[in-house]
Amino acid sequence: MSNAPILRVERLEAKVAEEDLPILTGVDLTIQAGEIHAIMGPNGSGKSTLAKVVAGHPGYEATGGTVSFQGEDLLELDPDERSQAGVFLAFQYPVEIPGVSIANFLRTAVQAHMPEGEEIDIFDFSDMLMDRMALLEMDPVFAERHVNDGFSGGEKKRNEILQMAMLKPKLAVMDETDSGLDIDALKIVANGVNKLVEEDPDMSVLLITHYQRLLDYIKPDFVHVMVDGRIVQSGGPEVALELEAEGYKTYEEAGTA
Amino acid sequence: MTTTAMKETVGIEGVTEAINEVAVERISLGEPDWLREQRARAWSIYERTPMPTTRLEEWRYTDLRKKLDLDALRLSDSEAAPDDRSAWPERLRATMDEDRDASGHIVLIDGHVVHTDIDPALAQQGVILDSLHDALDLYPERVKKHMGSIVPAEDGKFEALNAALWADGIFLYVPPKVRLDLPIRVTRWLSEPGTAYFSRVLIVADRESQVSYVDEVISDDFDGQTLKSSVVEVVADAGAVVQYVKLQRLGRGAFVQSSQRTLAMRDARIDTLNVGLGASVHRVDLNAKLLGPGANSEMLGLYFGDGDQHFDFNTSQDHIEPNTGSDLLYKGALDGASRSVFRGIIRVLPGAQRTDAYQTNRNLLLSPGARADSLPNLEIEADDVKCSHGATVGQLDAEAKFYLMSRGLSRVQAERLVVLGFLGEVLSKLPLGGVVGKVVGVIEEKLAQHG
Amino acid sequence: MPQNETIKDLNLDEYKYDFVTEAEPVYRAQKGLSEDVVRQISAHKEEPQWMLDFRLKALEVYGSKPMPTWGGDLADLEEVLDEIYFYVRPQDRMEHSWDDVPEEIKDTFEKLGIPEAERKILAGVGAQYESEMVYHSLREEWEKQGVIFDSIEDGLKNHPELFREHFATIVPTADNKFAAMNSAVWSGGSFVYVPKGVSLDTPLQAYFRVNQERMGQFERTLIIIDEGAQAHYIEGCTAPVYSTESFHSGVIEIVVKKNARFRYTTIQNWSNNMYNLVTQRAIVEEGGHMEWLDGNLGSKLTMKYPSCYLVGEGAHGEILSIAYSGDGQHQDTGGKVVHAAPHTTSSIVSKSISKGHGRSTYRGLCKVYEGAHHARSNVECDALLINDTSRTDTYPYIEIEENDANVGHEASVSKIGEEQLFYLTSRGISEAEAMAMIVRGFIEPIAKELPLEYAVELNRLIELEMEGSVG
Repeated sequence: MSNAPILRVERLEAKVAEEDLPILTGVDLTIQAGEIHAIMGPNGSGKSTLAKVVAGHPGYEATGGTVSFQGEDLLELDPDERSQAGVFLAFQYPVEIPGVSIANFLRTAVQAHMPEGEEIDIFDFSDMLMDRMALLEMDPVFAERHVNDGFSGGEKKRNEILQMAMLKPKLAVMDETDSGLDIDALKIVANGVNKLVEEDPDMSVLLITHYQRLLDYIKPDFVHVMVDGRIVQSGGPEVALELEAEGYKTYEEAGTA
Repeated sequence: MTTTAMKETVGIEGVTEAINEVAVERISLGEPDWLREQRARAWSIYERTPMPTTRLEEWRYTDLRKKLDLDALRLSDSEAAPDDRSAWPERLRATMDEDRDASGHIVLIDGHVVHTDIDPALAQQGVILDSLHDALDLYPERVKKHMGSIVPAEDGKFEALNAALWADGIFLYVPPKVRLDLPIRVTRWLSEPGTAYFSRVLIVADRESQVSYVDEVISDDFDGQTLKSSVVEVVADAGAVVQYVKLQRLGRGAFVQSSQRTLAMRDARIDTLNVGLGASVHRVDLNAKLLGPGANSEMLGLYFGDGDQHFDFNTSQDHIEPNTGSDLLYKGALDGASRSVFRGIIRVLPGAQRTDAYQTNRNLLLSPGARADSLPNLEIEADDVKCSHGATVGQLDAEAKFYLMSRGLSRVQAERLVVLGFLGEVLSKLPLGGVVGKVVGVIEEKLAQHG
Repeated sequence: MPQNETIKDLNLDEYKYDFVTEAEPVYRAQKGLSEDVVRQISAHKEEPQWMLDFRLKALEVYGSKPMPTWGGDLADLEEVLDEIYFYVRPQDRMEHSWDDVPEEIKDTFEKLGIPEAERKILAGVGAQYESEMVYHSLREEWEKQGVIFDSIEDGLKNHPELFREHFATIVPTADNKFAAMNSAVWSGGSFVYVPKGVSLDTPLQAYFRVNQERMGQFERTLIIIDEGAQAHYIEGCTAPVYSTESFHSGVIEIVVKKNARFRYTTIQNWSNNMYNLVTQRAIVEEGGHMEWLDGNLGSKLTMKYPSCYLVGEGAHGEILSIAYSGDGQHQDTGGKVVHAAPHTTSSIVSKSISKGHGRSTYRGLCKVYEGAHHARSNVECDALLINDTSRTDTYPYIEIEENDANVGHEASVSKIGEEQLFYLTSRGISEAEAMAMIVRGFIEPIAKELPLEYAVELNRLIELEMEGSVG
């Protein structure tokens, strides 16, 4: 098990639950501990769907292939079990939960990640929360606000990174975390991710993005291009630069040919 | 009919010297058997149904004992006027002039259809626009299929009375996939005080057809109460789009009662707009039934009251199948000692998942004597729904008024702008040619009197 | 696990106080309601003639009024009423110190989970066990300030003038059928008077408990908050489950005088066979401030619409309402605000949760009378539906006779969103816990207004109800 990759996706096919339209048509992807991967692709290519299927979103259904996490079948697990196993999804559109404070939410989540029978120490938790918030340059009053309720786009994304920092995943999947962020907010978010990677060099990151911009701040080891539900090209950071220069057009043409 | 039978009906609520079984018999003369039976049946329901009182939720704020004197009404016995525009009243002609852009027209004077025209190209394609009587002769099966089944006599006292005594009305049929670019325009003129008019409208839009229908009723003030009762039945088959607009500009003395029901089948859309500007009492019962997945209805209402006008809108949105939507917006301004009642209900039936239903009623009170009652109700029996409703009653936005005045507008100008802006939201959602201009014109007249 | 399965398994309705304490009542009236019963009650309480006359008149009014045809299903009620005892009295005299309270009753409190520390605070608490106040004392400092916190019976005996001045003036006998019934057979409840300018920091609390099969409880509470005074009264009820129907019909009358402030908090968690039909009304005078905080979690059917009659200029009324309806439950609740004076303001916030075959109904009235210039009122109703068999209704009546009024009503209906649930579970939180969290968040705006121990209790209840759904 220790030699198994963090994430191994093989021939994964998926569709929207209750619909027949396939979105993923055979995705292969392997991520080892400590690697940073980026998946780029045009709108509708299926890259966000991949993120959701990995995290277990009930709106999507895997119809073929496998997803294993450290050798364990991930598709068998409920979303909370996946989280407890070490999968984290930073949402593209974080959901508002009115009436639930961030502190309360995170305490419950951190507790859920503790081994059975172990109780979280409230003071330790509090110290940790303050520490992580400082890391992400967040005002401590933030912890008393309701989860994403009335947050600006930037605040929502920062809240995602805060959760990631608290839950210390083995694999962080970041679904278009850069969308809707101005450059300053993007830097803070990227900075936070980089610090977390620094703290835990074994943590793997899967960046899902449409643009090269994010990759200027979080340097990927591998870049994949996804078109029409499949990965059509994989390589090093140079792939992203080529894309930046040439766009997705060549791939799309190739895909439809 | 025997004399003894007559005597038995004496004392029954709503049976008067003019409104009685004899009148039903008389109006049935020469009609096909099924229709005679329908009328007779409706009459017996009418007799059995008590007159609504304020003890009924639906009539809580409109006291018929005070508002309507059936005993004083007679039935219209006028002959149909000639189809000769020069003989028509000036105001009717003026209104007609505004309505040239149309796919077809119908003009009714005192309940009789006096003029019908339809774009020949549309007639060629099978569009039918006719008086209900003529349609019964020419297309009996088409009419029979729906008439009286969408709004049955059992619905209530007025519905039964109308089914028994309707004198004429309109039948509109649009064949599959036929789309009308311009609206059908109906103009009604009423002139006889102390008279009860009963008319019906039946609109059938076949699969994937599209039609707009604008029905305007005008009169001068009446010297004595006049009842205008109508039943409106609209059905839109799969994928059809219907816009129904009712523009009420009657004079004082009129008591208007209108029962409307729309049936929207799969992927059909029926939008309605009820505008109440005239009459002394204006009551609308509107029920939208969403009967197939993808069915939708936008329900709009606008009213402006002054003097002692009384408006009462009783609406319901029935979501029967999953994936249906309805959006209701009724807005009114009330001046003088006028009064409005809005009672609406969204019903989401068990199993009608993924319903989107909204209901908003907003009232502006322009004078100390005005009054508004609002009851926006919800009954939700499915969990996967988006439903919300809201109601407000308030006065002119002082801030907005001040802002405009600080830019140099007079108080009157500022008020006019704010009121028109408030009511304009409704009109902007169904901007059928001509309607906006007419409504704004009347409101401006009313506002000018507000001073 | 598919979401529906989890929801079905959620055990929101587990009744947690399902136990019976053996306590032999000292006196028991006969079953059903009759003139005899009314005379017996009055004689037993050694009441003045005017009260007996009042009761008998009320009995007549009760008989003349038809059963309401709106609200909840009262079809079986007549039968229930024939079977219940209209008066039960557990002992002959009032207790004055904790030591005198019978062990069984202490045991009941124990099982209710009233914390030890709080029992000390009970030094100023009237605890109602069965139909009467069995335990009653007043904290010394309050006594010095002239605060009266008595059983309603003692209120009548010891403060006859003050009592008679206000009794049945806020909720007249003929107000509704159940107010008339209560007027005929009322027994137990509190009499509270807070003198001018006196401000109480600790809430006055009364614990209620119906513990006798087929026994109706007809508490009657009269509270007078004099000019400039401030107080908070808390009433909480819970009852054991029995196989036959039970019935509770209270009348709560409150006068909030000039510039006084008062909050009345009720958490009702009757067992699910209880009919709970209560009339709660406050008259609020000039500059006064009245808040109802109403939580309805239990009962088979509750019909309760706390009301504020704003009769003095600048008076303010507020109603915060939480309702939870599980299988077989119908909460028909809401509130009324009546603006009868200028510059009065009010707000109603209602949150309901319907689960299984439960039904929550909001029924409210906002009325602005002519002459109540510049009245402002805002109503917000949010309903949360847990299952596709759950039901919610909203019936807000808005009646405005004054043009410078500003009145708004907003309502929404929602279910626990799949996205919300996924978001929380994707952070490692179990589905049941996530649901409890969302429900708690939903009622947070009202729960945060509760005294801490009640908020904790409420949260525990929701937790408990969401537990048992998974392993």
